[in-house]
Amino acid sequence: MKKFLLLMLCLMLTVSAFPAFADPAQEIIYALANEPDGIDPGITNNSFASPILNNTFEGLVTYSTEDGSLIPGEAEDWEISEDGTVYTFYLRDDLKWSDGSAHTAQDYVYAMKRILDPNTGARYVDFLLGYVEGAAEYYEDNSLGFDTVGIKALDDQTLEMTLIAPAPYWLDILTMWTFSPIQEATVAANGDRWTASAAAYVSNGPFMMSEINLGESFVLVKNPYYYDADEVNLEKITFRFIADLGTSLMAYENGDIDGMSSIPSADMARLKAEDAGVVMTPGYGTTWYDFNCAKAPFDNVLVRKAFSMATDRLAIIEDVVQTEAEPAFSFMAPGYVVDGEDLMDTADDNDLSDEADVEGAREALAEAGYPNGEGFPEITLSYYSNETVGKVVEALARQWQDALNVKIKISNADWAVYYDEHVQGNYDIGAMGWSGDYVHPMTFLQIFKTGDANNNVFYSNEEYDALVSLAANMTDAKEAFEVMREAEAVAAAEYPVMPLYYKANTMLMHDNVEGYFVTPSNALLLKTAYVTD
Amino acid sequence: MKKYLIKRLGMMLITLFLITLLTFLLMHAVPGGPFNGEKQVSKAVMDALNEKYKLNDPLWKQFIDYVGGLLRFDLGPSFKYQGKTVNDFIENGFPYSAKLGGITLIFVLLASIPMGIVSALKNGKWQDMLLMTLATIGVTIPSFVIATALIYVFSFKLQWTPVYGVDTWKGYILPVIAMGGYSVSFLARLMRSSLLDVMGQDYIRTARAKGISETRVIVKHALRNALIPVVTVLGPTVANLLTGSFVIEKIFAIPGMGGYFVNSVTQRDYTTIMGMTVFYAAFLIAMVFIVDLFYCLIDPRIRYE
Repeated sequence: MKKFLLLMLCLMLTVSAFPAFADPAQEIIYALANEPDGIDPGITNNSFASPILNNTFEGLVTYSTEDGSLIPGEAEDWEISEDGTVYTFYLRDDLKWSDGSAHTAQDYVYAMKRILDPNTGARYVDFLLGYVEGAAEYYEDNSLGFDTVGIKALDDQTLEMTLIAPAPYWLDILTMWTFSPIQEATVAANGDRWTASAAAYVSNGPFMMSEINLGESFVLVKNPYYYDADEVNLEKITFRFIADLGTSLMAYENGDIDGMSSIPSADMARLKAEDAGVVMTPGYGTTWYDFNCAKAPFDNVLVRKAFSMATDRLAIIEDVVQTEAEPAFSFMAPGYVVDGEDLMDTADDNDLSDEADVEGAREALAEAGYPNGEGFPEITLSYYSNETVGKVVEALARQWQDALNVKIKISNADWAVYYDEHVQGNYDIGAMGWSGDYVHPMTFLQIFKTGDANNNVFYSNEEYDALVSLAANMTDAKEAFEVMREAEAVAAAEYPVMPLYYKANTMLMHDNVEGYFVTPSNALLLKTAYVTD
Repeated sequence: MKKYLIKRLGMMLITLFLITLLTFLLMHAVPGGPFNGEKQVSKAVMDALNEKYKLNDPLWKQFIDYVGGLLRFDLGPSFKYQGKTVNDFIENGFPYSAKLGGITLIFVLLASIPMGIVSALKNGKWQDMLLMTLATIGVTIPSFVIATALIYVFSFKLQWTPVYGVDTWKGYILPVIAMGGYSVSFLARLMRSSLLDVMGQDYIRTARAKGISETRVIVKHALRNALIPVVTVLGPTVANLLTGSFVIEKIFAIPGMGGYFVNSVTQRDYTTIMGMTVFYAAFLIAMVFIVDLFYCLIDPRIRYE
């Protein structure tokens, strides 16, 4: 009898499972470790907002979910004037907002106007101020009128942007969520609160908001009004916030969730060995340590060289961080390709290697006037409270002490304090890094320009500044490519930072979810994702 | 009594005001500001943000504005989370925290008081040994260790309970045990020692000498007095449980208030730090006040004049 029942049960399960096999529910749950500080595309610059914004909004151009190349988004086509300063975008026919209402080029104008109002508090406004004609003046004084700004809707489907100077990477910048259109009606009706409820959160991307549960989850559903809705497979995406990675990992291994954004480093090796769905994609970013180039002893390029050479990168990547990343010999990460050639293909190793070159490092330090570390002041290695960074810092301090016979003090503070001190230049060496806002070398190059807000190493080199400015305004991509290569070589040879490794994006996703793409700037694009059995 | 109540209410308001003032000053004394994110924003943006959130005003003016808002129960916009107010965090988070805390409180009371009583009555016997060993473990092992171990065994291995969230009643089981573990142990020990102390008092001997049954002696005479120290610590315990535990809410991914309270400090989200602190302080003060009123009910010797 028992056997019969069991048999029946098996049969029933098979039968009931069959339709699910043929047509699995197109729903996924994806765990995020952090809640974004906002989901207003015009305001936030917070990377935690990326999964939500990159799937609910779309700008003029976007990234392909097949190979990550730049493809038309809401703009079907565009023209660039001969001098490279005027961009004319032609929008697709019948664009609609997620509430079904018509959406025109005016919405882009409105979104940009809103960003240029200081009261909006847009964090990424610099991307307009630095490039768009009249934007900086208007931001300074709104009474000038928006007519003075080089962003105009010529008609409902034509948008014109005029730049201060040619910037061939302007299209790359336009992929950023900052340049998404925003519906004026919902902002007018709800003010700041338009991002607080699903009903008010009108968007234009492949998915739209269906639930906002503060501190708990964002639930997205397919946007039926999206121009490419036929290509969208998922009906529902739940982004659930689970702050504790141990908890989310158990939920993942239990099959309660389909994927998660961060992997606890201690479990990385095991998960890979078990083939548990570790997804690694190249990132456009570098982990490095800032040298304070404005302050002794690191104002001396030889000292910076000595520390850079004395670093055993492989040991840190494999034994301490326990990840798979490429050792970095420059601040600039590979990943920018023109005509099949990566900008970093021919880059110099700047006398750096995977493992430490202790002899070379000692020589450099001796040349700097500190033979065998004699007379070298005690320096402070600072970092922000983070478990992994803490381990790396301990290892680095040990490597440098052993190789160079110098005294190193370690100091640690929570991010707000650490960053504040760092920006003011109150440090010797500090943990830092950079992830590209868009995939173009300019995102790295500009932060080492004299006086840039993010130049926290206080590096300054006239030749470098001139090369970066030159490249920034070149209309020919290939020519600019060569100039940027030169600029990279100039700065990297002077070690403004101690490059450690090039970032890789890691996440967990079960095999039955396919068709998604992770961009080098770590945007998870789910537009074409689908669930198999 | 009326005079006492008025005096007491006045004291409570002064205490709350001092807490508000101190938190405000301490908060602004700590380096770092709410707009230091992952990337440095330019000076123009920083100026615009400081202007928007009125951080350019002199401190005294900011404080007066804040207290003004407080009187209207307006805790202000979050400086970190765009488009969110501190009231949102409390309105959304407090129900979760309070529900979890409320269930935990019932669990704590139902478990700790009987445990303490049995321990005291079986003083020195094996039941006492066993319960007190459990209670010692409960006090010494931190809640996050208990929580992680519970999830691993019951959610991950046995799959009886969900790993995260409180979407079903089953979701409450583990967080309640993990969160209540310490309080159960602490209160059981307190109950035991308090009851042992009372049982040695003269009036208990008198009661027994009158020939009253042992049960009646314990329930009617001993327990009532033995509960006084328990009720004293119950005030802060209630406040703690109901306003949410950061650790437990984080491990079980429960969207309560605890997370915002702790994160607001590292994020320098000024208004959230203030709002959460004031809310918690007001709650705590009220609980202590209620406990004081309870004394009168339990112990006829206590009278407020």
